[in-house]
Amino acid sequence: MPAPSGPDLPTFEWLGDAALTVRTPRARELYASLRAHPLPGVQEAVPALDLLTLLLAAPTAGEAVQEAVAARLATLIPAPGGSGRRVVVPVTFGGPDLDWCAAHAGLDRAAFVAALCAAQLEVAFLGFTPGFAFLTGLPEPLRMPRLDAPRERVPAGSVALGGPWAGVYPRETPGGWRLVGRTAMNFFDLSRAAPVPWQPGDRVQFEARA
Amino acid sequence: MTAPLPRASRPVGGGPLATGATVLRAGVQTTVQDAGRRVRALGVPAGGAADPVARRLANALVGNAPDAAGLEVTLGGPTVLFHEAALVSLCGAPFDATLDGAPLPLWRAAQVQAGQTLTVGGTARGLRAFLAVRGGLHGHEVFGSRATDLRAGFGGVQGRALRPGDHLTWAPLPAQAARRAFIAPDLRTPTGPHHELRVLGTGDLTPDLRDSLLARPFTVSPQADRMGARLTESVAAPRDPARPSVPNVPGLLQLPPDGRPILLLPDAGTHGGYPTPLVVITADLPRLGQLRPGDTLTLREVTREDANAAHLAQERALRQAEWMLRQ
Repeated sequence: MPAPSGPDLPTFEWLGDAALTVRTPRARELYASLRAHPLPGVQEAVPALDLLTLLLAAPTAGEAVQEAVAARLATLIPAPGGSGRRVVVPVTFGGPDLDWCAAHAGLDRAAFVAALCAAQLEVAFLGFTPGFAFLTGLPEPLRMPRLDAPRERVPAGSVALGGPWAGVYPRETPGGWRLVGRTAMNFFDLSRAAPVPWQPGDRVQFEARA
Repeated sequence: MTAPLPRASRPVGGGPLATGATVLRAGVQTTVQDAGRRVRALGVPAGGAADPVARRLANALVGNAPDAAGLEVTLGGPTVLFHEAALVSLCGAPFDATLDGAPLPLWRAAQVQAGQTLTVGGTARGLRAFLAVRGGLHGHEVFGSRATDLRAGFGGVQGRALRPGDHLTWAPLPAQAARRAFIAPDLRTPTGPHHELRVLGTGDLTPDLRDSLLARPFTVSPQADRMGARLTESVAAPRDPARPSVPNVPGLLQLPPDGRPILLLPDAGTHGGYPTPLVVITADLPRLGQLRPGDTLTLREVTREDANAAHLAQERALRQAEWMLRQ
C-alpha cells in the first residue's frame, strides 16, 4: 500500500483497548461506506462530527482495522450532496424561547421563523437519546447559546436550538437547548419498520405550520 | 456492525398461564437482559447484562447461546412461581437463593419442577446476578435484542423492571439434565467490597488528572444504576463548555464539572460532552456490574499489551468453560 498523504489523512486514537476513534473530514462518507460494507473486526461504528468511533470485536483487532479503514478512506469519493435524502419537518413555531431567540438574532418573530425555515440543515449524527439528531447548517445569526441551567423536562416534539446545532427532542427528557417550536413528527417509533426516520447526511428543512 | 439494521420490534411471546412462570415478588430492580444491541448510531444505548461473565456462564450452564435473555437481579432478587418445569442457573454476586425453601447453589444448573417457587434474596457482596432459564426468556425484541432499556421504556417486559403478576415465558428446548462443571472461582467476577479496576488513559488524561485519579481510593456513591456508577470523592475537573459531543464506549470514566467521576455502564447515553480521561479495560468491564454503593475502588493504569493479555486470558477461560458445558 502506498504511503497515504495529504490534508485529509485520518488520525486514529485509541479509546480504551477495544475502540478506535477515527478523525477525518470524510467521517460521514466513511460511516455510509461501513454501513453498506462492514469491515471485519468492527462491531459497530458510531458517528459524531468529523469523527467515527469504531467498537472492535476484539481488542487485538486494532492494527488491522486501522489499515483497513485508511485503505477504505482512500477509495471514498467525497459526497457533498449528503445522502441525497430530504426530510421536511412541519413545525408549529412558538416555544417558550422563540421571542428571546428572535431578539438575540436581531429579527422580529416572523423574520426569525422565515430565516429558520430557509436554513438548509443536515443530519450530522444521532446521539443523546434514541432518534435525536444533531442538525448542522444553522447560519451564524441563528446559533443560540445553551441555557445556563438545563430544563428538567423538555416536552417530546420540541424543536430546539443549542450552540451550533438545531434538533428535535423525540421524547420528554431534560434539555439545555432553547425551545422555538413543536412538531408532531415522531423520530423514534418502534411500531414502524424503520423507527428512526433520518440518517447522517440527510438534508433537513423546517416548514412552518399554523 | 450489521449492514441492514435488524427489524426493530417484535411482539412479546406468550402462552396460556399454565406455562411459564409468574412473578410473585419483583425484587429491587429485576429486568430482562441479554447481550444488548448495536445501534448506538441511532442514539440507542447498548444495554445488556451489566456482568457479561455472569450472563455467559449462566447461559452455558443451561445449554443456552451466550447471548440468550435472562433476568438480571439487583441487590434483592425476585420470587418466581414456575408453572412448568425448567432448567435454571444463577451466576453473579453471592445472592441467597432457595427453591421451595431449600438452598439453591449458584454457579450450577438446577432443575425446577412445575409448581415450585424460586426465591432470590439479598447479597452481602456485589450487586447483580443473572438468572438463566433453558431456552432463553421471551421479551419485547428491539433492534435484535430483548434487553430492557428502562429510560427509553422498551425491551424486556414492557420496557420496565418486573412487577408482581408479570408472566414470564421462554423458548421450548429439549429437556437437558443439569450438567455439573467446575467453574473456577477466578473466572467469576469479583464482588468487592474493594475493587481494583485496570484502566487505559485517553487523550484527556493530563498529568494532574493522572495524579488525582490513579493515586487514591474512591467510594461508590448511592448513585449507581445501569447507566453509570458515580463515585463519591471529587477531583479537580477541567472545564470546557464548548467541548463537542463524542461517542461513549463501555467503561469510560466521565468527569462532569463537579469533579465526581462516573463510570459508564451499559445503559449510558451514546454520546457525551464531558472529559473522559480513563477507560476500564475490556477484561474488567464485568466488574463494573458488581460495584455496590459503599464499595471502594482503585484505578490502576496498565499498558495496552496488559489489557490485551488480560482479555485473551479471560476469553480463553470463558470459552473453555462454555465448551466443557456443551459436551
